[in-house]
Amino acid sequence: MRRPRTIGLAALGAAAALALAACGGGSSGSGGSSSSSSSSAAGFNAAVTTVVNPSSHKGGTLTFGSSSTPDSTDPGNTYYAFMWNLTRLYTMPLMTYKSCPGKCGLQVVPDLATGPGVVSSNGLTWTYHIQPGIKFEDGTTVTSADVKYAVERTFDRSVLPLGPNYFSLLLAPQKPAYPGPYTDRSKNLMGLNAVQTPNATTIVFHLAKPFADFNYVVAIPQTAPVPPNKDTGANYQLHPVSTGPYKFQSYQLNKQTTLVPNTFWKASTDPNAKQLASKIILNWNMNANDIDNRLIAGDLDVDAAGTGVQAAARAKILSSPTLKASSDNPISGFLWFAYLNTKVAPLNNLACRQAIEYAANKTNLQTAYGGPVAGGAIASTVAPPNVIGQKSFDLYEATTKPNGDIAKAKAALKTCGHPNGFTTGITYRSDRPKEVAAATALQQALSQVGIKTTLHGFPAGTYYSNFAGVPKYMDSHNIGIAFGGWAADWPDGYGFFDFITAGDTISPAGNTNIEQLNDPVVNSDLNKMASTTNATQRNSYTAQIDMQVMKDAAILPEVYAKSLLYRSPNLTNVYVQTYYGMYNYAVLGLK
Amino acid sequence: MITFIVRRLIATVFLLIVVSMIVYAIFFLIPRLAGQSTYQLATQYVGRNPTRVAVLAIEQKLGLSSPLYLQYGRFLKAIVLGTHYNSGTSTTYCPPPCFGYSFKSQQPVWPQMVSDIPVTLSLGIGAAILWLVGGVAIGVLSALRRGTFFDRFSMGVALLGVSLPIFFTGLILLELFSYKWPIFPNVQFVPLTQNPLLWARNLVLPWICLAFLYAALYARLTRAGMLETMSEDYIRTARAKGLRERKVIFKHGLRAALTPIVTIFGMDIGLLLGGAIITEYTFSLHGLGLFTIEAVQNQDLPEILGVTMLAAFFIVVANLVVDILYAVVDPRVRT
Repeated sequence: MRRPRTIGLAALGAAAALALAACGGGSSGSGGSSSSSSSSAAGFNAAVTTVVNPSSHKGGTLTFGSSSTPDSTDPGNTYYAFMWNLTRLYTMPLMTYKSCPGKCGLQVVPDLATGPGVVSSNGLTWTYHIQPGIKFEDGTTVTSADVKYAVERTFDRSVLPLGPNYFSLLLAPQKPAYPGPYTDRSKNLMGLNAVQTPNATTIVFHLAKPFADFNYVVAIPQTAPVPPNKDTGANYQLHPVSTGPYKFQSYQLNKQTTLVPNTFWKASTDPNAKQLASKIILNWNMNANDIDNRLIAGDLDVDAAGTGVQAAARAKILSSPTLKASSDNPISGFLWFAYLNTKVAPLNNLACRQAIEYAANKTNLQTAYGGPVAGGAIASTVAPPNVIGQKSFDLYEATTKPNGDIAKAKAALKTCGHPNGFTTGITYRSDRPKEVAAATALQQALSQVGIKTTLHGFPAGTYYSNFAGVPKYMDSHNIGIAFGGWAADWPDGYGFFDFITAGDTISPAGNTNIEQLNDPVVNSDLNKMASTTNATQRNSYTAQIDMQVMKDAAILPEVYAKSLLYRSPNLTNVYVQTYYGMYNYAVLGLK
Repeated sequence: MITFIVRRLIATVFLLIVVSMIVYAIFFLIPRLAGQSTYQLATQYVGRNPTRVAVLAIEQKLGLSSPLYLQYGRFLKAIVLGTHYNSGTSTTYCPPPCFGYSFKSQQPVWPQMVSDIPVTLSLGIGAAILWLVGGVAIGVLSALRRGTFFDRFSMGVALLGVSLPIFFTGLILLELFSYKWPIFPNVQFVPLTQNPLLWARNLVLPWICLAFLYAALYARLTRAGMLETMSEDYIRTARAKGLRERKVIFKHGLRAALTPIVTIFGMDIGLLLGGAIITEYTFSLHGLGLFTIEAVQNQDLPEILGVTMLAAFFIVVANLVVDILYAVVDPRVRT
């Protein structure tokens, strides 16, 4: 949901927006036909399901370009998906995602830990053992205290404001509230009571209430160990102490980062990362079109932002069979959709919301977001196909009648008591051209069944904090429809649905449950998910919640976002890590 | 002359203070008048789905909740005296002119700008020399060969140069000489002190691109100025005295025609940041221009303030230099 803001440099090709895309491609993304080149296995979408150019060749300088600057290179202070992907080059969190293409890459597996967390019978205590003998880049051995310290840092939101707050939300509270190690300098900087380190290789987390998805939480880079005596607070981003295959050689803030191999890293203890290139250069804040051109010219190896090429390069790639064979079109894990406000009249009536579901012209919405390649596939469910446990269904003929079903929409309007339509407001981010186009397309489609809409565009910077995310504002201004996008922080149904559909997440400002859905079925399923440790059973709730939200017509899904990635032929071991919807940056090498 | 300079310097300081107040008001006062609370402002500088505590912590840290005049006072004080920053584990001193602490990157603004200045200076000075020399030379030749093919051709190119925006010429240059025929591949900034040859090679395309726009204007201005002065009576007198044509053109003709050029040149140098923004963006050069774009994208108010103040400073100084140069170039204003 949170994306770096872009400014209207439309003529220059606005810098690519990036997203926390937490899910990824999945096998469903590889529908396209194979390329014309028969000499190699690589072709269009090859890296979505297979490893392209597998090789263990070492050496070379791997060069990344990014159209954005990192939110932070500090593993404790980052919330950008591409940074989570990149931090694997220099950190080892307790858990991580298995490095493999396709659905395999959605599995959460131990990284610094020796195995998944062992949960107590009451679901409140999670115990991890860390691998002995893992070393920092300076040769000192990693202990569980370093992991605890890393978790403690995330409590000080004035020093590390940008990362997720799961630990302060989930861990058992203490009195007075733990302020983080920068304020609480006592007890060897080990003042957080909810995390205990009985010995140098054991770490125990005490939760406030059961949370079955905790293994996903510790897969966030925030559990990557930080040695307390090397922590420099807000300056730690300039040189995070590495436990991964590479370490910082230099970092010119927001310009360039140079990584070199970490000699204390062992491949045997970290099977999900590789140390192939002899140097990695990350160039930040480059012109997005320039990145595309340099990629195609071979001057750059990877576009780090991972959100796909710009319009100019897209046209070039799709029209050339050779270039197309070196590209992939995975699902990014993002859903573009509209919230249908269940509290504002007449949308508080289910049938009125269903009328919108039927009347919306999904083809036009898809076009607004950039068409089938750059925009995405028409969505009929809330969860994208790569959320674990997602099942596809289509309650409102989104895929069978993509231009909308006027007859059914009119019938629904009759049921809701407004046979000639009604009036409501649509809100969207006015500085996102795609969202503006989508809002206009929806307005037009709805007008065909007599639903009159007024458009309320707001800048992205304040959209959630002041407008769409403020229920009082939405209700008092009669805004029934709000555009938005969503990706989860981890790839299961709880991660996807909790923030946007749980009744208890409705808050007076910065609200994420913008449709204000408070459905007991959804709430109870989410609660069950949070407390069910059996993965199969837990994941079975995903489709149930999805179905219920669609029955409530609380969300109008538009597209499962896709992006067109260019895969440089120089690269080895390239594949889309499904969880991120971008190439796995931790395993790349050069020919 | 010295009193003149001192007077202008004092005026400069006042002007910069006024600029800083206006910029400060635009970014900090107007949003408040429009009803945005400092809490809402602070939410822009935390991660997604922040807790209330998280937002309050950052509001406190950035000092957004204190009265505006206090915040402005702190801002001015930091510029004059420097200030201390708490990074969590230690307190670091940021020496003057410390333009504040970036909301986004949590680092002082000034050191970031300092590291960007060489890039923008290299780009600007190189381009300025190119366009001044090129533009004036073409202008003089055109004026002397008025009506010839050369005149028409060069004025046609000049018209093209004025009309084509930098991001267009930049893309064409890149497409031809960087991607397609990699004569200047992989444009990136290399410090002059590190490798002068690479420095120049990497900057050739940006220089041409930026200079083309300005050179065109200068060529046309010089041509017009030369045509006018060359038809003045004193030129006829100079020729009648039997002076060599070269001396007539350069000593008597060009010198007078240069006065308006110097004015414009001074202003252009001051305003160069505008052209640098687009050039640096097109070529992905990490100078002040790209820094500005990033600051605006991130709505990083201290960075925007810092870069605005620096730009204002350059413009004011450039004006001062122009006034002094006037006296050197044109004897008529020497009083």
